[in-house]
Amino acid sequence: MPWSELDTAAVARTLAQIAELPDDLVDAYFEWREEVELPPEDEAPGLRIWREEGFAVRLMRGQRTWMASRDGIAERPFAEALRQVARALPPVGYPEPRVRAAPIPAGASGASDPAGAASIADLAHVLRDFPQAVARAVRAHHVGIPVRLTLRRHRRWLQVVGSRLVPEPQSESFYSCVLESQWGRHGALLPRLDAAAAEQIATAAVGLFRARNAAAVPPSFHGVAVLAPAAVAVLLHEAVAHALEADTLARGGRPEAAIGLALAAPCLDVLDDPAAAPPEVRRTSDDEGLPVSRRWLLRRGAVEEPLADTAWSRMSPALMPGAGRRGNRHLPPGPRSTHLELLPGGCAESDLLAQANGGLYLPAASRGGLDALSGELTLRFPHGRRIRRGALAEPVGACTLRGQVADLLARATAVGSERVAAGAGWCAKGGQKLPVWATAPALRLEAVTVEADA
Amino acid sequence: MPSSGEGDAAVAEVLRELVRRGLGEAEVLTKRGRSRRLTLELGSESSSFSQERAWAVRASSRRSSFFVAGAGELPVGEAGAPGAPGWTWPEATGRPFRLPEPEAVPPWTQPSDIEAPLIGESEGLRLLASLGDELAAELPGARLLLAALEDGSSEGELASSRGVRAAFRRRLATLRVEAAGPGHPGAGAALYLAAREAHRFHPKALARRLADRLSVAANGAPPGQLDAAGGSGAADPRGELLLAPPVALALLAGLLPLLVGPGAVARVSALRDRRGRIGSERLTIVDNGRLPGGALECPVDGEGMPCRETVLVEEGAFRQPLLAWWQVDGAAPGAASGCCRRASWRDLPAPGPTHLYLRPDPRLSVATLLADVARGHYLIDATGPARFDAAGERFELPVCGFAVEAGRATAPVAGAWLCGTASAFFKGIAAAARDLSFLPLDGMLGSPTLLVTGLELRPAS
Repeated sequence: MPWSELDTAAVARTLAQIAELPDDLVDAYFEWREEVELPPEDEAPGLRIWREEGFAVRLMRGQRTWMASRDGIAERPFAEALRQVARALPPVGYPEPRVRAAPIPAGASGASDPAGAASIADLAHVLRDFPQAVARAVRAHHVGIPVRLTLRRHRRWLQVVGSRLVPEPQSESFYSCVLESQWGRHGALLPRLDAAAAEQIATAAVGLFRARNAAAVPPSFHGVAVLAPAAVAVLLHEAVAHALEADTLARGGRPEAAIGLALAAPCLDVLDDPAAAPPEVRRTSDDEGLPVSRRWLLRRGAVEEPLADTAWSRMSPALMPGAGRRGNRHLPPGPRSTHLELLPGGCAESDLLAQANGGLYLPAASRGGLDALSGELTLRFPHGRRIRRGALAEPVGACTLRGQVADLLARATAVGSERVAAGAGWCAKGGQKLPVWATAPALRLEAVTVEADA
Repeated sequence: MPSSGEGDAAVAEVLRELVRRGLGEAEVLTKRGRSRRLTLELGSESSSFSQERAWAVRASSRRSSFFVAGAGELPVGEAGAPGAPGWTWPEATGRPFRLPEPEAVPPWTQPSDIEAPLIGESEGLRLLASLGDELAAELPGARLLLAALEDGSSEGELASSRGVRAAFRRRLATLRVEAAGPGHPGAGAALYLAAREAHRFHPKALARRLADRLSVAANGAPPGQLDAAGGSGAADPRGELLLAPPVALALLAGLLPLLVGPGAVARVSALRDRRGRIGSERLTIVDNGRLPGGALECPVDGEGMPCRETVLVEEGAFRQPLLAWWQVDGAAPGAASGCCRRASWRDLPAPGPTHLYLRPDPRLSVATLLADVARGHYLIDATGPARFDAAGERFELPVCGFAVEAGRATAPVAGAWLCGTASAFFKGIAAAARDLSFLPLDGMLGSPTLLVTGLELRPAS
């Protein structure tokens, strides 16, 4: 942990000095992050490393927020940032508590990632080995196709200090992988680089390859679609998580007015539970230092607890904070999901397919988007399969599922019984790039419209 | 903060150390920046001030290479090693690379506004609030959902083992606005703009633009249908089209593969007519990293190479693609232009436009072009991203605007798609107005209002 030389008690005392009014909230956010990337073999430069540390100080008073952030962690800049946030004149002196980030041993990791214990040199070997593992996994599908992989390990340590609360430090460690082939591109987040991860990437590569000459989805396809867990995860992220973020809800009125609303079919129980995420990215507190909870976003299809951070919970007291996330120290927190779960239903995948004759099977979504004002949801799929006689049939090409959020979610008729960790990816709402995770079973949607892409 | 002399010494020490380790191609970038960000969002107000300080090093031997970047000071240890104690340079892996030889940079006078102070907190918040007030005055019932203003400045130095030495300063303000029209749910509209200074954003003009967008979205009918008032939304969908800069730029952004990099030559060949032209005589496309007054104006690019004006298409004839120094090998015509951008200190330099624009005609106003439209449409904005086919040739762009007859707007049009091909777009440009405007897309892209034929406006399916 880099925070052994951070005097959190002294920082908290100093923060308390600028909290002048009873409802003032002051906090400091310290972060240390490292990314190590191995690009494809034909790209230069080779190994790429980013290391950064810094902090932000924030004061919230009523509906107003002031924030000051700096690169580097040291006493003098910290005192300067405090002065800026308090809007005090330079002669006002604030104490300079000991704020230093201890050096991270090359391989230290707060998470149970075997590669986290490796030095940069060892990590480089791990990253170099993975493409070979993927190539072997591809060959196991009886195809040999060239792919280019860009692999990156992401590690982040953070410590939030409030004037009254000093939560446990948090850490995350995971990998991102971008696969490029002449048949398309696929991006994934992986908690670890193991055989399952290699198989996941290989399956995506083979799927793109096998769909290379696929027929287009019939024009104006309207019918049953079975979404595999990875596709369900993107659907949930766009249609449930984004739709139930307090700032999104506020665009249409009071966010708390959504509570109790029947947004989806009763078969959908959706939670955000950062504490149940894969161990490498599991969290006990959010990026504002507040404890996370097992948050029921939808219970039997009805909205129960929208996602909120501190600012939105102050504006709408019915909302519970604990879902504040920030892309980095220079950006303010916002309400976002971390790890979505769709509770399983009672339908085996074979049953989902059996009742979807003539429909589409959509294994993974490459992109999704929600228009917060109109409520229109768009999910893009690089390829799919037709379903015939209860089995997967011929592949189909790229297509897009489009519809109104509430209308689409109401069309869910059956939920698979087998949940898998799936659908992790980057979310870029508001310019803040954040990793998001999900655990979901397959899902059947009836009477949906899917368009073939140009 | 170390003095410039201390910084130079640290950079020189790192370069020496890397060369000593056999990494003959070594480059160090140091950068400092500060920015103020002001946001109004649904009743809340926030103000933040950030200071950034960072460095990036890339180095290559004859066989392998690496890239390292970090926040904070460029740390130089006893052995010239950067980073926290225990840090050493990583093992070089992957392919090697070359760095450019130094080139003389033509004289350049730093614009005076680069020195101007960042916008103050209360001044910036007033600007955002007045944008909301103006919008409500232009279109009663319309409201701002989000207005975020960021005003920043940065400076940096670049040095390489090849002898490149460059210093640069930049100033950039961006404004993001999202608004909703009257009613529930109201139509939505968004703007994202960049300028060198925040003072260049004019709330009244921006509010008018948003109000036009919202009004058209709320009242417009798809092309070919009668509007609610019974007027003619049925102007000829294949007639003349007047494309306002946001519409022309949405197309230009999607067509950049035809203009950037050596691969552009092969892509462009399919567009050539019998005379070898890819566009009408009104089509001239230029890229210029040191465009006077440009938001990204700078004498050098992200590798310290001098920026210069490069004509890519001249009166319809393709002259050359945009090329970085290492892409000039005879495979593509033309000279390098200093076009390797660094999006931030975290990014490697990559070729791309800086200020790429369609040349305007200073003799023609938008009103003159509009008056010349006998039967067609005036498209004022793109309402979503363009879709291109796999070859990047055929496109569809969601747009809104007005039907036009005899030079007058007769009905608002919404729910429309502008469809066509790159070739038809370039060859169909009949005139360009004088109102050159830039938007932050892939670099700063610029276009005046264009009068175009040969494209089609279709109703959304």
